[in-house]
Amino acid sequence: MLLLALETSCDDTCAAVTDGAHVLSNVISSQAAAHARFGGVVPEVASRHHLELVNPVVDAALHEAGVQLADVDAIAVTAGPGLIGALLVGVSSAKALAAARRLPLTPVDHLHGHVAANFLEPEPLDPPFVCLVASGGHTLLAAVHERSSYKVLGQTLDDAAGEAIDKAARLLGLGFPGGPELERLAAGGDPDAFGFPVAMTREPGLDFSFSGLKTALVYRCHELGEEETSRRRADLAASFQAAVVGQLTAKLERALDSGEWSAVALGGGVAANGPLRACVAALCEERGLRLKLVAPELCTDNAAMIAAAAAELEPLAYPEYLALDAATEAVERRATSNEQRAT
Amino acid sequence: MALVIGFDTATDDTAAAVMCDGELLTESAAGPTAGGGGRPAHATRLLPDLEAAVGAAGGWEAVDRVAVGIGPGSFTGLRIGIATGRALAQALGVPLAGVSTLAALARGIRERGGGGGRPALAVLDARRGEVFAALADGTDELLWGPFVATPAELARRIAALDRPPLAAGSGALRFRGELQQGGAEIPAGADRVHRVAARDICAIGALGPGSDPRDVAPVYLRKPDAERWRERDSTDNR
Ligand SMILES: [Zn+2]
Repeated sequence: MLLLALETSCDDTCAAVTDGAHVLSNVISSQAAAHARFGGVVPEVASRHHLELVNPVVDAALHEAGVQLADVDAIAVTAGPGLIGALLVGVSSAKALAAARRLPLTPVDHLHGHVAANFLEPEPLDPPFVCLVASGGHTLLAAVHERSSYKVLGQTLDDAAGEAIDKAARLLGLGFPGGPELERLAAGGDPDAFGFPVAMTREPGLDFSFSGLKTALVYRCHELGEEETSRRRADLAASFQAAVVGQLTAKLERALDSGEWSAVALGGGVAANGPLRACVAALCEERGLRLKLVAPELCTDNAAMIAAAAAELEPLAYPEYLALDAATEAVERRATSNEQRAT
Repeated sequence: MALVIGFDTATDDTAAAVMCDGELLTESAAGPTAGGGGRPAHATRLLPDLEAAVGAAGGWEAVDRVAVGIGPGSFTGLRIGIATGRALAQALGVPLAGVSTLAALARGIRERGGGGGRPALAVLDARRGEVFAALADGTDELLWGPFVATPAELARRIAALDRPPLAAGSGALRFRGELQQGGAEIPAGADRVHRVAARDICAIGALGPGSDPRDVAPVYLRKPDAERWRERDSTDNR
């Protein structure tokens, strides 16, 4: 079954064509350069770019897959969560493409997409597994028992891990997005030079928090003064990165303590971080667990993962979806972390 | 026989119509959703309303052309309309016509405003104490605009016209006093002429060759706030 999927929830305009677990095309048009001069994603700027890019990106996805719109069996689209104006570009395009051809349409929860990236070739991973997704938009620890849903074990209570890294990079005078630059700078620094707090390890549960860490960095830079901060940038970056990685791995470790898991999946843009990969790999090896590192092009936001999630869900038949709206909140029915804890 | 579907989502209304060879078959205009702060119903009403209209005219396959309002107006509304228009035209393999929302409003004023042969001034509320405006005289060609201006600036331009125009639209209602001082005549608030009618999008969109769907883009007339703040800051620092 040929699925055409669209994803416009944040600052990447994405379209993909999949056939089962096979990705026929996965086109990602990053707007990073457009947002770099603002030091972060500006919603109105993102929405304007999505409208400029959505049609060429869909055309490219069809072309690269060697298919035409007439060959497509169904359409999938990210309906939330995300930036509402950005989501609406994808949702409006997908609904109209599907309606004109009376195709079924599947609205997909963006985070389910990140989880479902694991079902795609190469080396697909079948449930059950624990999935850690860390990116600029989200930090999610999920229990995946079946392909069609996931249970939230923990989420960030404030900033996302990647967002914290971007803010730290900015404080240290690095560009946007900050992940790769901060990692490069940290490589030459001492991770133990500054004892930044690894937050949330004393609290019970599996939620994350990164805003306190950012504040700690702001204070430390202030204490050191401009000259000393600049001289010790590498140590600051290394220590900050160690605290982020420490918190992510500590919560993952706690989730694994139940002993019921045999596999771990690591996804999201922050999964590209070398020290995080190394820490999670060491943890999995120590416990004899399979580790699935999602391929880089399926880690960052992309539409192939949205197609992978849609393939596991019941689509809406024409014309049931015509009134579909985008949502800033999660869109699929699924268990929340509170329900999970209550049981 | 040529079947044209036209719609506009630049204002709080979701306007949709189907025209066949210049004859109006159906027309609808849904206001903002009740409750929820009166958010425009563009995302939830546009396609259902179009489907109902097209269904009565022979289905999607019967459509020969898609026409969409390209603003100026609500940024999010414009994107919903244009994304929908491009995708429909692409999937149906028909041309897309981008129509100035102000030109459509002006056409309604000329045809149904009862102003005789006077110039038609289309004025939309642009929020922040400004208006989007355009002037047409006798044809669908715009004499001025579209541009963004304060009501006082617009009133001065009206006063300089040879003949006082008939003005309508959300901006004409909101700034009635200022514009009347400039010499504009403005119909009563309940008059339909103040709202964009999709039949006018269809009528203007039916003219000309139409475009490749990808070439139809919104007319924002304003930069994103972040862009304006950045420019202001860089000017201040100079
Ligand atoms: Zn994401």
